[in-house]
Amino acid sequence: MIDDPHQEPHPDTFEANRESDELNVRDVHGAILREKDDPRDGYEPIPLWMVSFFMALVFWGGAYLAFNSGGFESTVFNPAQVSWAGGGGAAKAAPDPKVVGKRLFTANCVACHQATGLGVAGQFPPLVGSEWVLGEDGHGDNHLVQILLHGLQGPVKVKGTSYNGAMPAWKQLKDDQIASILTYIRSEWGNNDPPITAEQVAKIREETVAQTEPNTQTLLQAIPPVQFEEVVVPAAPAKDNTPPPAAPAPATAPGA
Amino acid sequence: MSMTFDHPVTTPELDKAERARIDESTRIPVLLFYGSAVFWLLIGTLFALLASFKMNAPHFLDQWGWLTFGRVRPAHLNAVAYGWAAPAGIGTALWLMARLCRVPLRHSRLLICAAIFWNIGILLGIFGILSGDGRSIEWLEFPNYASFMLFVAFGLIAVWAVIMFRFRQPGHVYVSQWYLLAAFLWFPWLYSTANILLNFEPIQGGAQGAVNWWYGHNALGLWFTPIGLAAAYYLIPKVLGRPIHSYYLSILGFWSLALFYSWNGMHHLIGGPFPAWLVSASVVASVMMFIPVITTAINHHMTVRGNFHALKWSPTLRFTVFGAMCYTLSSVQGIFMAIPSLNKVTHFTHYTVGHAHLGLYAFFTMIMFGSMYYILPRVVGWEWPSARLIRWHFWLSAIGIGVMVVALTIGGILQGLALLDPGVTFMASLDYTKPWLLLRSGSGILLTGAHIVFAVSFTLLILKTGKRRSGPTLFGTDQGRQPEALVP
Amino acid sequence: MNRMPVIVVGVFLTFLSSWIGLVAYPYFALGRFTPFTAEDTGDINPPPLSGLAVMGQRAYASSGCVYCHSQQVRQVGYGSDLERGWGSRPTVARDYMRQNPVFLGTMRTGPDLANIGARQPSSMWHHQHLYQPTVVSPGSIMPSYRYLYRTQKIEGQKSANAIDLLPPDAPADGYEVVPTYEAEALVAYLLSLNRNYPLPEAPEPPQ
Repeated sequence: MIDDPHQEPHPDTFEANRESDELNVRDVHGAILREKDDPRDGYEPIPLWMVSFFMALVFWGGAYLAFNSGGFESTVFNPAQVSWAGGGGAAKAAPDPKVVGKRLFTANCVACHQATGLGVAGQFPPLVGSEWVLGEDGHGDNHLVQILLHGLQGPVKVKGTSYNGAMPAWKQLKDDQIASILTYIRSEWGNNDPPITAEQVAKIREETVAQTEPNTQTLLQAIPPVQFEEVVVPAAPAKDNTPPPAAPAPATAPGA
Repeated sequence: MSMTFDHPVTTPELDKAERARIDESTRIPVLLFYGSAVFWLLIGTLFALLASFKMNAPHFLDQWGWLTFGRVRPAHLNAVAYGWAAPAGIGTALWLMARLCRVPLRHSRLLICAAIFWNIGILLGIFGILSGDGRSIEWLEFPNYASFMLFVAFGLIAVWAVIMFRFRQPGHVYVSQWYLLAAFLWFPWLYSTANILLNFEPIQGGAQGAVNWWYGHNALGLWFTPIGLAAAYYLIPKVLGRPIHSYYLSILGFWSLALFYSWNGMHHLIGGPFPAWLVSASVVASVMMFIPVITTAINHHMTVRGNFHALKWSPTLRFTVFGAMCYTLSSVQGIFMAIPSLNKVTHFTHYTVGHAHLGLYAFFTMIMFGSMYYILPRVVGWEWPSARLIRWHFWLSAIGIGVMVVALTIGGILQGLALLDPGVTFMASLDYTKPWLLLRSGSGILLTGAHIVFAVSFTLLILKTGKRRSGPTLFGTDQGRQPEALVP
Repeated sequence: MNRMPVIVVGVFLTFLSSWIGLVAYPYFALGRFTPFTAEDTGDINPPPLSGLAVMGQRAYASSGCVYCHSQQVRQVGYGSDLERGWGSRPTVARDYMRQNPVFLGTMRTGPDLANIGARQPSSMWHHQHLYQPTVVSPGSIMPSYRYLYRTQKIEGQKSANAIDLLPPDAPADGYEVVPTYEAEALVAYLLSLNRNYPLPEAPEPPQ
């Protein structure tokens, strides 16, 4: 049934807001003629299983929130964190230097020396069994500390192989951080050398405070090698912050 | 068990001439928004292809800063989200609002101004991103001079929407109208808050991530999703001539979406530097999304049930039902992705990209295509010139998005599992993704084809090419087969 | 639901709840930090950024680095970030107080950069990597950022900040590759990315 396009629609049926002129429904709006009625709502009830399932979901939600909210504190970032004992405080009071050293090594050194300590052939020298790390063959513990503090570049020979790279300086790390890294690399992968302490690092740092250039193999060879006296580092975690007993001053000639 | 709310008021049926007048009144704004949308769809698709190829061949066109991946990728996102999806949604919403409010569209000048401002904003924004002014805040990359234009445009649209609804014909308010009104109220609040707190007067960094993803997720859930659902709720029963299965399910679906969806944002930041309770709240809200999603799925399914054969003939229905099914699929996928034990695999991987496309393309864009196939003939006064073009469009889109989602899902899972294992090098995790990214580029070519076909179809329609048809352009009509007595 | 006020009020209230939870609360709890001063060393954590690094944030945004790189070390149990050496502890909100905008990121097409300044403290490495990523990172799909560099004729002697490059990426004889201001700023910013300092709310995870 087609409406007479010239018949005026009843003014009550909709607002008289006419912007167009004559309506030619048949020509312009053929699509409308065949349209079905606008959608209307059915009234089927909500199924019971759905309501039960949704209530179970709400219950689960509440339980999850209760157990995973870290006490609703804004300083708890991990829901499991509330169960850690004595979490806060400056992280410097780490229990075991080797563990701290491993973490720092992983964060700072593995990019070049690799997690295995084997380095990359031709590019980055290995630390495993390296005479530089173990203080053998004319290399001293003081040289090792100095490398960490000021870097090392130019041609070097490690375990008979030549390398020519540029290790950056790490003097921005704290004394105890450097000490823990060195302790770690000297006791890992079959290396078995005594630990190095923060005081020993501090002394070398003080002695070489004027140094701005990175080390080279020649420069280090000019400094007599020193083996640090072994210091007993407590294996058990120290609850207070007292440092281990001071190491006796190593007998060393003044640094370059 | 039944739960009744208010007593429905009977609605006087619209006179055919009234309908014609309403359609006529919507013509210019709808065509402006739809035309902009198709234009930006092509641009956005081009950027998508570029970005995808660059992941396969990093040296492709890498001499120039303005085509670097880090700019082409956000240019793609903004072009398709704010250039295609939003205007397509607005055009659809205008028409739906006018029809459902049963009054001709008034104050169309507001909308014409809005369309112009909107397009200027998008243009400025895309140029801004490509020239290096992008903010690199996801979903909010537009520099301030561009986002301001979008906000002004949207303000005009929101004002229009409120007036339109206020002066509707008295009677039953249909579910689509709730979704549309809500979307038009939610979006300006979202957009202005996020832009002010992140771009105009940035808050301190520690809080930015939360605001960013409150916005990002809600742009999807409280702007695009309601428009897509409103269109599906209208088109499915309309084309089939059947009532929506349950008014009560519609109510439950609407309010549970409003309540839970908005809290989902932090699930983009699981494991991140945010208080545990906030992240957990979002995880809970994400899982609670089962409520609106299952509700809507059942509502739609029971409405179509017994009539799936209609998808053989009706382009509108085929695109819309495809989209509605993918709404359920992508929402359920999203719910599972928000569970921390699964999230630690999928976070930071291509899986997330696949999910985003499942939602914004397979759900929202396909429903927009369906809406345009329905609305445009009514607004232009001409039927679609070629059913063959529509068929090509559908299959290229459907297969394209299917391949893309599968490729990114598999590649993403492999990548995620590799990233979780510290014994696997980072480079290995990248190597796992490479063949899947290649497949994704292939799917992108299919989607580009689909959009070109659609743009051609659209242009031919606007120019009223071909013979005047006496009936709807249904699948199969080009060959002269008689379609069933169905509405278009 | 036929009345407009019902819909509008409901829509407003549900949305307001999320605004309170995800916008207002983060602003008050996470958006007004002051830096933490370590009592023993006097260090201010997080440390302030140099002016060049602040400009570098804009360069990072301009080139879109965030679309492949994240900047967050995930919590224990949420990924293997710590085991990969991407940080000595998970990052917390205060770590980002000086970042604007924050580049938390959502993709790891490339590795996490929250502590890249600690992992790669050499500016030359960064310049080489930006100029041609495959030089220092074979197999990478990171594009070249050589549009941030200038190839210029060597006047007299090589510039102090010229980048070391080997063939096939090295420029022709008599030419050098020099970073623009934007590249210098970007690298300064990358070098500033180091969150391995301690904060009271960020305890070292248990072994």
